[in-house]
Amino acid sequence: MLTSLVDAQGRKQAALELLVRYIRIVDDPRRLAEWPDLFGDSAEYVVITRENHERGLPIAVIRDDTKDRIIDRVTIIKNFWGAGGRAEDHHYNESWPRHIVGPAWVEFTESGEARLGANFAVYATVQVDPEPRLLALGEYQDVVDFSGEIPKFKSKKVILDTSVLQDVFVYPL
Amino acid sequence: MAESVEPPRFDLARRIRWPQEDNKIPREIFTDPDLFRAEMDGVFTGPVWVLVGHESEIPKPGDYKTISMGAAPVIVIRGANARVSVLVNACAHRGTRLVEGPSGNVLRGGFRCIYHMWTYDTDGRLIAVSLPEDFPQEFRKEDYGLPRARVDTYRGAIFATLNDDAPPLLEYLAELTGGLDKVLEDGALEFLGSIRVIFRANWKLYVENIYDGYHVTALHTGFQVVRLRSHGGERLVPNYERNGHLWGRSRSTPVNQLTPALRDMSLFDTRTKPTTDHNMMVVFPSGVVTDYFDTIQMRYVIPLELDRTQIEFAFFGRQHDPEEARLHRVRQGPEVLGPAGAITLEDAAALERVQLSATARGENVVLKGTPKRFPPYRHVDEAPIRHFYQAYRRLMGFHSDDH
Repeated sequence: MLTSLVDAQGRKQAALELLVRYIRIVDDPRRLAEWPDLFGDSAEYVVITRENHERGLPIAVIRDDTKDRIIDRVTIIKNFWGAGGRAEDHHYNESWPRHIVGPAWVEFTESGEARLGANFAVYATVQVDPEPRLLALGEYQDVVDFSGEIPKFKSKKVILDTSVLQDVFVYPL
Repeated sequence: MAESVEPPRFDLARRIRWPQEDNKIPREIFTDPDLFRAEMDGVFTGPVWVLVGHESEIPKPGDYKTISMGAAPVIVIRGANARVSVLVNACAHRGTRLVEGPSGNVLRGGFRCIYHMWTYDTDGRLIAVSLPEDFPQEFRKEDYGLPRARVDTYRGAIFATLNDDAPPLLEYLAELTGGLDKVLEDGALEFLGSIRVIFRANWKLYVENIYDGYHVTALHTGFQVVRLRSHGGERLVPNYERNGHLWGRSRSTPVNQLTPALRDMSLFDTRTKPTTDHNMMVVFPSGVVTDYFDTIQMRYVIPLELDRTQIEFAFFGRQHDPEEARLHRVRQGPEVLGPAGAITLEDAAALERVQLSATARGENVVLKGTPKRFPPYRHVDEAPIRHFYQAYRRLMGFHSDDH
């Protein structure tokens, strides 16, 4: 009993630390290559509007439903998106993202899976615009995988509150 | 004749000087707020048919979606009798917005206005008002239905017009039906969902971008990275003498001949069609229909402000799709032609930059393919942009006596 409590407490702490690691990486476009490492081998990363999520419509803004697609996203951002510069150290639209996250919560399912949730707002400071932009607002609905040496995301679902995106998305949310 | 009796749009046409050459576009048309307001009437309530949806988006009686035809908010609804109507989304009493949000179902209850509880059925008929005592004696509910647009469908695509002078839909679409037949087939589509995004550019910049085959390899670096090319193809401008639609068609490199720059190359794969041919169409003034790879998509262009345009990307499958084909479309569509997609995203960056510097006076110029005066053009040409603006100028009353 005592061990499982300690275990749960430790896992909760580890899940929250994973979230902080995630935010530190997605807030810094120069660390983009580290982003896929936050996910387990059979992980998914999905960004979907609350409207489609709740209506059961399958179209997501981003549906990286395999680790390969998660890794591809980095390739697309670095090598595909030419606007604003073709080299990988250039940023599309010279944008700088900033995640404001909280509160965050961890719940354990019967099977012991940790569900990690958090509210977020993502602002982007864009060179073409003197005003920072509210890029996205919503909720993370994540599942944390503790099977490996360090916890990773088994699933990261980004639910967007608005049906109308305020801008295109470049970097991971 | 006194100037004041002339419609204001002619004043604008005089104020903004359109150069003699039809390949030049005055930048003022992207920055003039009076012109923007005039366009909402001159173009979107002109004799045009606006693409407002597909029947599969509202499959059941009472299903509705909201959209705007230019500045006019409308409800696209399948009535209790299964007929599709397009109703103005404003109470006939005091003009209150009747429904909020992108979609819903009102089979039970109809539309009830929150302000004075006037209630309309799914055909827009006023069926109840609260406390009608002391209304004028001649008040009749029949006189206060919701204004309706004229509606017609083509292979499930829903078109609406607010103008009595619009020609019959088939006449308006003309040869564009050839492309619509290829993409929509029998019209038996399944709606998979929409993504809406705001582009920080004038609506015309968004639309003219579709006519432009020149930017495709220059801007969309992803195509170069995987060495995807168009092998032949052409840009037709059906009915260009009157309406200036676009029908671009080409055949692209099959996925097994591409450079495998991604681990999952299904983005660029064509699995549901016998060849890699695809179509990209603009139904003037504001509708886009395409079957790029396996992605069946319609776009609805909604001008919000002079420099802000909402684009709705609606994705479809075919009703008879096997499960793996459906999943493939779901995984591919937004990833290629969506606001976080490998290709579309760059258009937003380019168009925002055009908008930002449109305040510098002068003209944008269209060159590639222009020695040819008439369609068909090559698929890499930007010349079709001229025909978009010819149709636009006719509607807005800009002189076009130079051709």
